[in-house]
Amino acid sequence: MSRIGVFTCHCGENIGATVDCAKVAEMCRAIPGVVHSVDYKYMCSDPGQRMMQEAIREHQLDGVVVAACSPRMHEPTFRRAVSGAGINPYMCEMANLREHCSWVHEKGEATTNKAADLIRVLVEKVKHNEPLHPIKVPVTRTAMVIGGGVGGIQVALDIANGGHKVVLVEKSPSIGGHMSQLSETFPTLDCSQCILTPRMVEAAQHPNITLMTYSEVEKVDGFIGNFKVTVRKKARKLDEKLCTGCGLCIQKCPNKKISDEFNEGLGTRTAIYVPFPQAVPNKPVIDMKNCTFYKTGKCKVCEKMCPTGAIRFEQEDELVTLDIGAIVLATGFKLMKTDAFPEYGYGKHKDIIDGMQFERLASASGPTSGVMKRPSDGKEPKTVVFIACSGSRDRAKGVPYCSKICCMYTAKHAMLYKHKVHSGKAYVFYMDIRAAGKDYDEFVRRAIEEDEVKYIRGRVSRIYEEDGKLIVMGADTLMGGEPVVIKADMVVLATAVQSNDRSEELAQTLHVSYDSYGFFAEAHPKLRPVETNTAGIFLAGACQAPRDIPETVAQASGAAAKVVGLFSNEELTREPIVAVVNRQAAPVYSTCTGCFLCQGACPYQAIEQEEIKARDGQILMTLARINPGLCQGCGTCVATCRTKAIDLQGFSNEQLYAELMTL
Amino acid sequence: MAEQFEPKITAFVCNWCTYAGADLTGTSRIKYQSNVRVLRVPCTGRIDYMMVLKALHKGADGIIVSGCHPNDCHYTSGNYHARRRWMVFKKMMEVMGVDMRRITFSWVSAAEGARWAQLVNEVTDQVRALGPYTAFRQVVGAGVE
Amino acid sequence: MEAVIRRAKELLEKGEVKAVLGYAQGTGGVRRPHFAKRPDQVDKLVLDATCAQNLAVYATKHEVKKLGKVAIVALPGTQRALIQLMAERQIRDGEVAILAVDGAELKELDSAQGLEEHLALKTQALDAKDKAKLAELEAMSTEARWAYWQEELSRCMKCYACRNSCPMCYCEHCTMDCNRPQWVPVASHALGNLEYHMVRTMHLAGRCLECGDCGRACPVGIPVHLLTFSAEETIHELFGQRAGRKAKLDYALSTFKTDDKESFIR
Repeated sequence: MSRIGVFTCHCGENIGATVDCAKVAEMCRAIPGVVHSVDYKYMCSDPGQRMMQEAIREHQLDGVVVAACSPRMHEPTFRRAVSGAGINPYMCEMANLREHCSWVHEKGEATTNKAADLIRVLVEKVKHNEPLHPIKVPVTRTAMVIGGGVGGIQVALDIANGGHKVVLVEKSPSIGGHMSQLSETFPTLDCSQCILTPRMVEAAQHPNITLMTYSEVEKVDGFIGNFKVTVRKKARKLDEKLCTGCGLCIQKCPNKKISDEFNEGLGTRTAIYVPFPQAVPNKPVIDMKNCTFYKTGKCKVCEKMCPTGAIRFEQEDELVTLDIGAIVLATGFKLMKTDAFPEYGYGKHKDIIDGMQFERLASASGPTSGVMKRPSDGKEPKTVVFIACSGSRDRAKGVPYCSKICCMYTAKHAMLYKHKVHSGKAYVFYMDIRAAGKDYDEFVRRAIEEDEVKYIRGRVSRIYEEDGKLIVMGADTLMGGEPVVIKADMVVLATAVQSNDRSEELAQTLHVSYDSYGFFAEAHPKLRPVETNTAGIFLAGACQAPRDIPETVAQASGAAAKVVGLFSNEELTREPIVAVVNRQAAPVYSTCTGCFLCQGACPYQAIEQEEIKARDGQILMTLARINPGLCQGCGTCVATCRTKAIDLQGFSNEQLYAELMTL
Repeated sequence: MAEQFEPKITAFVCNWCTYAGADLTGTSRIKYQSNVRVLRVPCTGRIDYMMVLKALHKGADGIIVSGCHPNDCHYTSGNYHARRRWMVFKKMMEVMGVDMRRITFSWVSAAEGARWAQLVNEVTDQVRALGPYTAFRQVVGAGVE
Repeated sequence: MEAVIRRAKELLEKGEVKAVLGYAQGTGGVRRPHFAKRPDQVDKLVLDATCAQNLAVYATKHEVKKLGKVAIVALPGTQRALIQLMAERQIRDGEVAILAVDGAELKELDSAQGLEEHLALKTQALDAKDKAKLAELEAMSTEARWAYWQEELSRCMKCYACRNSCPMCYCEHCTMDCNRPQWVPVASHALGNLEYHMVRTMHLAGRCLECGDCGRACPVGIPVHLLTFSAEETIHELFGQRAGRKAKLDYALSTFKTDDKESFIR
């Protein structure tokens, strides 16, 4: 007969205020098989855990139910505590009295009865629990970082410096990401490329880092420690071993009028190009869509000019499959474009630009060499209006969240403008000023007090063009909502930070969760910000949520630490929640009929064939066998099996039947 | 005044989505009716239709089966297999004359705390209006148990 | 028929098969299965419209497998069952010589591939009476259907003739007999009968060959074949897959499409 202990937690007032814990403990004492039932204020605390361990020893308990918060919260905590008292950790289950009971129902008899029901279900389950032992799996100690912006570079450097190999995959021809597009960074006004390019070069030259630029992840199979990642190396149309980065091809390319992505459409580039002069690797790429040769069959000037003969027009994409132990997602963000604003002209006005476009105008390596010229006619703008919160915090635009970085970069933009056009007038329309970081508020004060940027608290309802000027119609709420009309030469919208293009697709490829905005989901919002719910896949930077550079770098180092921790052992210990096909003595061997209807149900190809042989070598039957290294414990095969020859450890048929039959 | 009938609702939920979503309902302190009893499984793929039959056997008036949205299954495809299973199971139960208004299948993600509460409330109200599942209870009662 | 008898004798004389399984005259005008192990036993074989039983059910039995290679006189239902059994790895390719009979046509098939090609040329349709009954059920209200099946199943006594006659019910350790845990009560009370037939229907969904043997076997005349037919037709309508067609397993409930369409999941 089982000897089960039930420990009901008050969780302070969280459970205790709504559920009568003492009564629940008493009700549980009456369940057959329960020999010990108590309630306590904080089971997860040190004294709480110790009390439980003493009770296990004193009453010789062989199973434990902790009735407290969600098992997703503390199951590992209590399993560890229980194993400290000498019994197998898998003999401990948790009943969720908090998230599923006290926090969602009113105080009363019905709630207390529900609590007792929930515990009883787990008691019946535990009666059928079996001791389980962790499974050991080898770990491939190579990491993959997807995304080569400042976050991805930081992760790669940290892991590489930790002594492990890293593959850094970046979809554009160069690493650097959005940070390489910025002119100066807040709050120091450091030149962005000056602080980034040394890191980029370090990543490229690091012996432990392999750069795969102009590449995308196509398929991910396997599981933590044992991923098989297929990467598509898009064809640069170049033999990289021969190219010296001399740039002659770019100089000579006759097709010079292609809209430049790096300059956010404000400049032009050639068909064979590097995205920016400091690109790493400094090897060009041919834009197949716009190249004259691919469109008409004529040209090939670059091939003729190349001194090393590195151009390869026939080059095809290459698919490479790599063995990877851990993956870090650092794919960054994108900015909402100005065409999302009907009230501001649907993006038709060339002089209404977004924050990144302003960065390119301000940048010394940008299309105007850092001189303030407005895009439409190249004239110096004398009055510039900056509109913060364009699209963010706006349910109507589908972005109810705050994009975090705009208040700071708007102040920065206004300051940069004033530094370049001393007599210019800068206005900022804001809702709030969110300057919470170190030296951030001081930075904004400088903009207001030293650089005389005029801050107006209010929103802008409309911008239209009249006589070559942009008429900005806003309001000043600190003056009672008084309308403010400004005739501006240029308007900069601090548009919303959004998840990158196709981030949903990437998340699905990696089997990682994402929210309704396409940002990747962390395992826990407070306590596990760099992990995802998919073991072995970590997060860094703005792909998780809007984030500035210091936070991205910090998070990147955090993710790297997780990877290095994962790689600190040669073997990974896996949870034994896996499916098993039963085996019995001859002549039955198993209740499995060898029909293999289960095989199609497994997402991890974990179901193998096992030949049962007689002593003379004759094959008696072929039965299903589950590879415990691959099985992830979903149980789909268990539900598919007609004879129930397969069972899932931890959620077995007996356990679930017992849970069901007690309700 | 006669005691109002309170339906018994059994819910089978997957650990990674709906169970987590229900946790979020709790964390957000959104209140819902307390008739439901949640049973945790790792994935909707694990949910055997025989479990639903046992729930009915044990007197459930309403049943909820819920998991991750298609494409978001933590185990990649468990919910796709579950979906097919339910499509066939539902048709079979309808052919046999079981009142399938009492069994609700849903996709509730880990971020949909409010939606879980809404779903539970809707199902509880719906089943309360349908009344106790006497037809099935009669069948159970006609046996030795 | 002559062709069948001739070939059967030939196969036995040459020792290519150890037995020929077909139909023979039984008592009361019923046809029963006949195992001819010697050429002289072959003359008892008959083949006419009253021969209906699905003989594939014997192909998975130990006693038959122990004999070695056997030849089976296979009507359409038996043919479909044989290929499905091969897909489910219960019969190995070449273990059975198939004397496929379709109306007056006899074709000898030796491999799963051959059988698949043969079946690809055949159409499969439900018997008109069964179709009409299924349509009638479809038109009933939920309560009427419940009453109908409660009435029919009240006669069930768990004799398991339906299970025994079905070629796809080959599992030696059937779930219905499992008592740890006992998902389906063994007793033939209302609950036990209901759950048994529900679970059996689900086990056959995507695997039923629509041969109708289960309904014919039932001693108290419950139309259990309608349940499995309905499940099989549902699978075909929803997913386009059918049992008894391919030598490679194409089981609807262990495959899926990301855009399987349904309208009832909230």
